[in-house]
Amino acid sequence: MSPSPKLQSTETSIPNPMASPTTTPAASAAPKAKMLAEHVNFFYGSFQALHDINIEFRENQVTALIGPSGCGKSTFLRNLNRINETLRGTRLEGKILLDGADIMAEDVTTIRRRVGMVFQRPNPFPKSIFENIIYGPKINGMVKGNAAEIVEASLRRAALWDEVKDKLHESAYALSGGQQQRLCIARGLAVNPDVLLLDEPCSALDPIATAKIEDLLFTLKEQCTIVIVTHSMQQAARVADQTGFFLLGKLIEFDKTDVIFKNPAKRETEDYITGRFG
Amino acid sequence: MTARNIRRTVVNNVMLSLTGVFAFLTVTILVLILGYLVYNGVTSLNLAFFTKLPLGPGQAGGGIANAIVGSVMVVAFASLFGIPIGFLSGVYLAEFGAGTKFAYVVRYTADLLNGVPSIVIGIFAWTVVVKPMHHYSALAGSIALSLMLIPITARSTEQFLLEVPRAMREGALALGASKWKSIATVIVPAARKGILTGMILGVARISGESAPLLFTALGNQYWCRGLMDQTSTLPVMIYKLATSPYDDWHQQAWAAGLILLGLVLIANITARVFLTRGASAPKS
Repeated sequence: MSPSPKLQSTETSIPNPMASPTTTPAASAAPKAKMLAEHVNFFYGSFQALHDINIEFRENQVTALIGPSGCGKSTFLRNLNRINETLRGTRLEGKILLDGADIMAEDVTTIRRRVGMVFQRPNPFPKSIFENIIYGPKINGMVKGNAAEIVEASLRRAALWDEVKDKLHESAYALSGGQQQRLCIARGLAVNPDVLLLDEPCSALDPIATAKIEDLLFTLKEQCTIVIVTHSMQQAARVADQTGFFLLGKLIEFDKTDVIFKNPAKRETEDYITGRFG
Repeated sequence: MTARNIRRTVVNNVMLSLTGVFAFLTVTILVLILGYLVYNGVTSLNLAFFTKLPLGPGQAGGGIANAIVGSVMVVAFASLFGIPIGFLSGVYLAEFGAGTKFAYVVRYTADLLNGVPSIVIGIFAWTVVVKPMHHYSALAGSIALSLMLIPITARSTEQFLLEVPRAMREGALALGASKWKSIATVIVPAARKGILTGMILGVARISGESAPLLFTALGNQYWCRGLMDQTSTLPVMIYKLATSPYDDWHQQAWAAGLILLGLVLIANITARVFLTRGASAPKS
């Protein structure tokens, strides 16, 4: 199914960040690519939602994916941990590599353990805070009498420990929306993922809760590779090292965040950044 | 006020009153039934009624202990067969079979089975269990009742599982849970309350059925000696007492009805108390 590499750049105007040295920021000091997408096409039934996406996510960096509603940025993100597979009638073409290995060839539960995901709305399980955090380590067989340590470490990493340490055994639903979202981040971190995907994690949160999550991303990127889909261009500008702009299922431009916001190469990017549509 | 506004207000008030009146009517009917049962039945209630075997007409004393025990036994075994089968079918329908032809057939069959008159279920159980075994039995009664319980449990389990938000399923899968694991550890627990309530309502429903038991468990003057023996049950006992020509038996029929209703109520309330404890999922 994977298209021949020779076909690429000629038929579309999508820049290929791997092939083009001009879009590779700080070439000498560039961290290595943790995840790569090569010629990814994606279909809901007969509708093609993604067209020949090529992008790389570098280790210990935050990459933001921006674009108007329905542009395919979330759909793309959901392919990185193969969660789209759970929807009926979907089909993926092309390759997605994690540390050089094709994720479609690996065991799906292993991939999802290594590529964590935080969703648009906080989705804690109807269990206690403690049980929410330990759920992932438990089902992955990572708990060896150290459940309490795992829970504390994960909550600390998500900057939630101090707020919940006295009510670990209360229902997760007793927390505020922002706390619930950080709980979901902690739950994802508890299984030590290599990559953390965030699908508009702040869209249901107020500005203060949003600021806390953004702060968190700066510390988290030292431990894992982060990909965040966001509606907010300001958020992308604040948190991301790299930014990709999606439009109508295509990756229009992908570059350092500075370049995307100050000196975009493509007309569509500039129009979107300056608010002419979207 | 314009004519249009007046008309709106009038229609609004009329509809509001109508719904209120009918809601009141529903409650009244229930209260009337309860009151009538208590009024007629409570005089025959005494300790002997719960602990003694039935006596002949005209004889003072005597009870329906064998029918109470028989009902509990028949319903318990019916639940033992019906609930696991119904529950797992419901899980299949909601989680694995979505969109498949097989699931469609299963769902449709379950709905049909739900609609089969209980007397027909009784005749069926007679044909496949009683006739080959050459005798009536509590087991045959349990099988007949479980045939009614399976579709009820399956469809209610399916409904409550489908109400669990997709986000919660994805949350579990995204942590590396296999599909089965996510169902067993997150989705079913999230729908636990509804599923259990559905099961209890199902059990309450079959507890009151008499028709499927008429041809299967039949009835028994004495204590039932085991699953293979025919047994007395509350609904059939009520039927026999009520259709007899004796006044004191009629009184006993009322009392037996009161006991049956009481048992179902106790089961319901215990379940509700038990279910309201612990964390529950928000509806979204």
